[in-house]
Amino acid sequence: MLTLSNVKKGFGAHEIIKGISFQVEKGESFGLLGPNGAGKSTLISMICGLLPYGAGEILINGKLVGRHLKETKQIIGVVPQDIALYPTMSALDNLIFWGRMYGLSGNTAKTRAKEVLEEVGLTERAKGRIETFSGGMKRRINIGAALMHEPQLLIMDEPTVGIDPQSRNHILETVKTLNEQGMTVIYTSHYMEEVEYLCKRIAIIDDGKLIVSGTQRDLSNRLAGGRVLKLTVDSLRPSFIEQLKQLNGVEKVIVQPAEEIDVHLQSEMEIVSDVILLASRSGIAIHNMQLKEANLETLFLQLTGRSLRE
Amino acid sequence: MKSLLIAVKDAKTHLKDRKAILMMILMPILLTVILGSALKGMMGGGRMPETILGVYTPEGNAMTASIVQTLGDDALVITVEQAKSEKQLMEWIEDREVHIGLLLPDGWGIDAKERAVILPVSGQETGAAIIRQLIETYAQMSHAITNSTISIMTEAAVLSSKDRTAIQSELAASLEKVVNEQRNYVNEPPEEESVSSMQYYAAAMAAMFLLFNAMAGGKSFHQERRSETLSRLLMTPTTVHSVLAGKFIGTILFAWIQFLIFMVATRFLLNVDWGSSIMQILFITFFYIFSVAGLAMVVAAFTSNEKMADVVGTMGVQVLALLGGSMLPLSLFPEIMRKMAMATPNSWALTSFTSIMTGTPWSTLWLPAMVLFGIGVTSIFISSLRLRRRIA
Ligand SMILES: Nc1ncnc2c1ncn2[C@@H]1O[C@H](COP(=O)(O)OP(=O)(O)OP(=O)(O)O)[C@@H](O)[C@H]1O
Ligand SMILES: [Mg+2]
Repeated sequence: MLTLSNVKKGFGAHEIIKGISFQVEKGESFGLLGPNGAGKSTLISMICGLLPYGAGEILINGKLVGRHLKETKQIIGVVPQDIALYPTMSALDNLIFWGRMYGLSGNTAKTRAKEVLEEVGLTERAKGRIETFSGGMKRRINIGAALMHEPQLLIMDEPTVGIDPQSRNHILETVKTLNEQGMTVIYTSHYMEEVEYLCKRIAIIDDGKLIVSGTQRDLSNRLAGGRVLKLTVDSLRPSFIEQLKQLNGVEKVIVQPAEEIDVHLQSEMEIVSDVILLASRSGIAIHNMQLKEANLETLFLQLTGRSLRE
Repeated sequence: MKSLLIAVKDAKTHLKDRKAILMMILMPILLTVILGSALKGMMGGGRMPETILGVYTPEGNAMTASIVQTLGDDALVITVEQAKSEKQLMEWIEDREVHIGLLLPDGWGIDAKERAVILPVSGQETGAAIIRQLIETYAQMSHAITNSTISIMTEAAVLSSKDRTAIQSELAASLEKVVNEQRNYVNEPPEEESVSSMQYYAAAMAAMFLLFNAMAGGKSFHQERRSETLSRLLMTPTTVHSVLAGKFIGTILFAWIQFLIFMVATRFLLNVDWGSSIMQILFITFFYIFSVAGLAMVVAAFTSNEKMADVVGTMGVQVLALLGGSMLPLSLFPEIMRKMAMATPNSWALTSFTSIMTGTPWSTLWLPAMVLFGIGVTSIFISSLRLRRRIA
């Protein structure tokens, strides 16, 4: 369905995307994860044909993006990161307008708009102006506008930023249903739980590079006991950190702000008692201690030394 | 096809904007009424009843003095009586010695918060409404001009030598001159000029207010970009050309709606005679609107955001309106200014309108049409080079 091979992009002298390759199969739900500024939106803009790419190839259904722009754009439905709707127009008129921009006839657009309003659960607000909507409702129409032409590939750029849990659940359910009905979905988010819930396969990008990709199972196998022990202590001493690193079963120690220490654990080894012993021998008081099970968040932390959400 | 959909969307959005409606449709009609009827009174067939206006201004400044003088102008058929105190004014009103009372606070015209108080006497509501319109228009015009003067002067960095009040009194003086010149124009109409004041101002206001579409069109382009809908449009299978054409046609569409409403309103409400050939009027309007839509693209291409488009556009409209005879009749201008006026699209529209009103053969309309067309094509050419690069 979608193939990226060694795609690069720079703005001026800055290289923002530094050679990214991955593939998304038909019917898949694919998660794109990465911290702020990783290049997710830039990547999406290139896939959608909004930005020309510097090097590499992007193929959609075997067609090169850039050479067959009209065809490739027609295949994709994009949900932009920012609300891209006309605030003084009604929800219905917005949907009809965007449908028509994808080439739907007037009548088809009208019927389709009503179906889409049903799908995003805003039928009663059809005639309301977008500017009078809550953040969550705007987000839902923002998604609806991408669904008007029943795209084969739905690309969503952080569609749940800053909204209430109810709208968020509604959106997640909608996307899940669409995917189950056969629509290919690419989903971008900072929220691990969303990606874990929706996506079979995941790619993590950071600083314009693909760090890792694979199915959720692949990734958790890679983690193989990638648990993290979070410590909050009263005073940080370099010697204590050094000693921690020496402990059997510790893969990595990362010092976070506010006297916090993340101890990445290698295996299933029981290490908690060792840590406590070490602390009391060094005269360091532990205020808080938390053992986190391996998940995408800890994987990301392990790979980049940074947290996904700042 | 998609361009047309974008155009209709734009025009509809614009029509839903209350401020735009006030500014683009009601304002020109109102100004035609005020300017045209004030001057009609002078022409002998005045329908405005003799009105006695009692005014009290405690201290007075250049602005209040100037408005009082303007109101007392013969053309308006208003007799102004200056009261010595607020109490005296109140007594006049009570005794019905005046038809309308007007209280001008000290800072009026300088501080926007200081408002004139109109004290109507029962039975004189119409007169009071007219006075209110006059005062508001006067204040608005002087404000607009002061503001742009100040901004121009700030840019030139000479503001240090002048303060706001000084500018204001200078402005008052120059406004007074404008009024006097206008009076001259009415007293001794230049030969050949046989349009009535109503006709002249209807044509002048149409030419001036259609120009505002250049600004509005430019702004709508920035709006589309800021709200991310431009990016979204370009992610649909819609080409850059269709989008640009859509914005262009959208400006044209709204301008036509604006013009047709204005023409129908002035024709049937104000009895303005647009001449015997509607076809000629529509012909010139077609080319004029085309050139204005071209200018909208220039504004879009050479400004970087809505605010800048607003400032540049408003200033541009004022300069063009002044140069092009929409504020003062062209015949009052010295030779060199009349030559400069030929560079403004609105002067071509205005002179064509007035000559159509008095009857003119088609052959005289080809030149203005071609000039307007040329301005439009040049604008489109220059701006599309730049816009295409900026979008893609
Ligand atoms: N037009 C541009 N010119 C210059 N730099 C740009 C441009 N667009 C994006 N960038 C830079 O590219 C980098 C990636 O931005 P991008 O928006 O793709 O990140 P993102 O992963 O979507 O982040 P977020 O999670 O905050 O949305 C950023 O450092 C950004 O500053
Ligand atoms: Mg982004």
